[in-house]
Amino acid sequence: MKIGLEVHVQLPTESKIFCSCPTTDASAPNTHVCPVCLGMPGSKPVLNRKVLEHGIALAKMLGCTVADTTWFSRKTYFYPDMSKGIQVTQHDCPVGRKGVYLIDGKKPVRITQIHIEEDPGKTKRVGDRSSLIDYNRSGIPLAEIVTEPDLKSPAEAREFLKQLVQDIRHTLGMPEDDERSIRCDCNISVGGERCEVKNVTGLRNVERALTFELIRQTKVQKAGGTIVRETRRFDEERGVTVSVRKKEFEADYGYIDEPDLGIFRIKELADSIAIAESPQNRIARLSRQYDVDERTAKQLVSTSMELTDLFEAAAAATDVKTAIAWVKGAVSANWKAFEDRSEEEGGPTTDGIIALIGRFHAGGMTDSECAIELKAYMTGEDRGTLRSGSSDLDDAVEAYLDENPGVVEDYRGNDKAVNKVIGAIMRTTGGAHSSADVVEAARRALGKRL
Amino acid sequence: MIRDALDRAKAADARHSIFRELLEEPPSTEPAFVFSASDNLVTADLGTCGGSRILEGHRPVFDATAVARMREAGGSLIGKTNLDEFGFGHFSVDSGYGVPLNPFDAERSCGGPCGGAACAAASLDGHVALAAGGSLSGPAGFCGVYGLTPTYGRVSRHGVLDCGSSSDRVGLLALDPGRLSECLPVIAGRDPRDPTSCVQPAPETEGRIGSIAVPEDATAGVDADVRTAFEAALEMLTSMGFEIATVATPSLAYAPAAHRVLVVAEASTNVAKYVGMRYGRQDGDLSMGFDDYFTHFRSEYFGDEAKLMTILGTYCRMEGNRDRYYAKALKVRAQTIGMYKELFETYDAVLTPSMPSVPPRFDAIAGMTAAEKHGYGRLTAGPSLAGLPHLSVPCGYGGTGLPVGMQFAAAHWNEGMLLRMAADWDSAFEVRRAEAVR
Repeated sequence: MKIGLEVHVQLPTESKIFCSCPTTDASAPNTHVCPVCLGMPGSKPVLNRKVLEHGIALAKMLGCTVADTTWFSRKTYFYPDMSKGIQVTQHDCPVGRKGVYLIDGKKPVRITQIHIEEDPGKTKRVGDRSSLIDYNRSGIPLAEIVTEPDLKSPAEAREFLKQLVQDIRHTLGMPEDDERSIRCDCNISVGGERCEVKNVTGLRNVERALTFELIRQTKVQKAGGTIVRETRRFDEERGVTVSVRKKEFEADYGYIDEPDLGIFRIKELADSIAIAESPQNRIARLSRQYDVDERTAKQLVSTSMELTDLFEAAAAATDVKTAIAWVKGAVSANWKAFEDRSEEEGGPTTDGIIALIGRFHAGGMTDSECAIELKAYMTGEDRGTLRSGSSDLDDAVEAYLDENPGVVEDYRGNDKAVNKVIGAIMRTTGGAHSSADVVEAARRALGKRL
Repeated sequence: MIRDALDRAKAADARHSIFRELLEEPPSTEPAFVFSASDNLVTADLGTCGGSRILEGHRPVFDATAVARMREAGGSLIGKTNLDEFGFGHFSVDSGYGVPLNPFDAERSCGGPCGGAACAAASLDGHVALAAGGSLSGPAGFCGVYGLTPTYGRVSRHGVLDCGSSSDRVGLLALDPGRLSECLPVIAGRDPRDPTSCVQPAPETEGRIGSIAVPEDATAGVDADVRTAFEAALEMLTSMGFEIATVATPSLAYAPAAHRVLVVAEASTNVAKYVGMRYGRQDGDLSMGFDDYFTHFRSEYFGDEAKLMTILGTYCRMEGNRDRYYAKALKVRAQTIGMYKELFETYDAVLTPSMPSVPPRFDAIAGMTAAEKHGYGRLTAGPSLAGLPHLSVPCGYGGTGLPVGMQFAAAHWNEGMLLRMAADWDSAFEVRRAEAVR
């Protein structure tokens, strides 16, 4: 089975791609519009520089060759939601070509190209025979990432998208939001001709649509039929794909160069754009460089990239084993509170955390003292209260482990054995301690006994 | 004064069908000057139809930059001049709003696409006509006025209803060349709303045309009237002290076809927005599917010429044809620009007649094949394709007193040189006013 994706990502700019209309959610339809995004006669597009910068950053993230010179094309798009009857996209000279993306830092997916284009408006069906169009979305900047058919299963396609989206968000500094801002055209073949399922929204629907196609195409072939090359649509409610048009009716887009925008020489701009290490690359590097198991690396990265920065600094200041134990334990457990407080004036800093771990490493504190110090420092809670509560908790954990030595053996082989301890302590202490504290104390105690 | 100007415009319009829409009442304050704009320049106070029925009733929400700048300079827009639908044509006979009639002979064409603008310039005292689209040499030549088509990018296209976007310009027509020199600085200059206007260097102010190149086939196939007038003009230029040399320009032979391909390919995408849905006429049957609704409007309200151009343009950019036509035309454009650049190393201007004949009669136009009509653009195609500034000046009158124009093309951004030539020529050559409108 071969799967290739065309992934559409909305780029996080403040204004639209060719005009200064805002990209934020509007209070009413057709309010974030102007003569340019409505395609009014006489209006001309003006490129938003930020869109080009985002496009270049993503091209670099995907390991693409970034073009020295790029331009736009007009594509015939004769639907009511496209105000000009044409879509401005990139055809001959996209911003980036020929990249590779690694799933889990290992499995390569070749990237054919990444280009920039404008989003059409939204069509909303009202009743049986009419539709309304909202052009607020018209001119929202999109990047389209096209892969080679290197994905081997619907689940792998979903995992690819999940990791890709995480990396894109980090690279462009996008807030965590609804996965719906990702739309995909999915190409899939089980050995015969390929079918394209257009405009599938969200990671879960991509997997559902591909799974449906996988089963449908396999059935057709088993029954002795042939798969015809066609474009299909995914019906989210029924979970099925439906034929839209056969190959002989495939659109002829009639591309020409966009004469209103001109040519962009972007080498200097591209050279000036540096991209930070992506989350997936960091996961791969952490497990390689520090011999941290992949699950831990993923867990740290998904908590926060800053947490992994802290880990690396702590490892340099002490040693990898000490750093990973504390970062995975007490520091992770109190990270959320820390993030909130670190923004306050005079709040805790990562340097402060590293100093505490350093003190422990130098023998200046015991294990449980360090845990209390870290929690007090990161959350701002009172040391004394923590100390009395914590010693109760530690005692309870130690007592449980004394009674159940088998758990320590289980933990050696399987990380998840820690859940047994957590469950037991939560029950016996009747919720006196927060679950984060219990998890942290259990891990710390188990770690000591290994 | 403004009331007089408006009254004279109304009278001229009644005789020659110049305007698509005229100001009904004069403005309350006396303007510094009056001007007209071709109806493919959008204006917020007067409607804008671009010669097309599909835009009937369209009232834009903004002014084209060139119009806005003329107003800021104290000008008052008195009317929107008629033109070929969306700028497709050489005779202004393909408009949804009537046909402007030649000021020298009402049975003949004003030229196109912006025939109404040239007719206004010829008919109204001290008038300056703003016009957008392709070259202005055709209408200027046929109506016996000066017509300046500036370098591509010199004047903002913001507010122009696009035809061939990569060659469309906004230019000026007037009987008095001094008006062109006054108004070009007004409308020229960078405009943040048109990125293609943002590449120009400062206007050239020094320099005068000294040497002139005339292509050896400049008068091949032109009417006797045109040849006679052109040759007399060459003699006059020589006597004025200009050096004239005949040059071979074999690669210019491909310019008309390449220009045509690029214009129709771009135009076919530019008119894709006209579907009877967002502006202009929208009185269709809403129970139709959108495809049928669009088809109905485009069939009903596009003229034949607009339909032909749309079909040809779509054909030129179809899969399989794109390389053969569109991509090849782009190569010819690059080659043509290269050829001109080489010529301008030695000569200051390239001179040809503006049109291959005196203004043709409407009955003759009706009998022309598409290729014959297209042939009228062959002398303006080179400067149009290459984005060169060019100027048509009246240079003679045929046997029946019909005007003949000649066209100077200069290197990019050298409008100053052309305008000085216009002034020099005007002081030496006696430009005739059209009899009927005195």
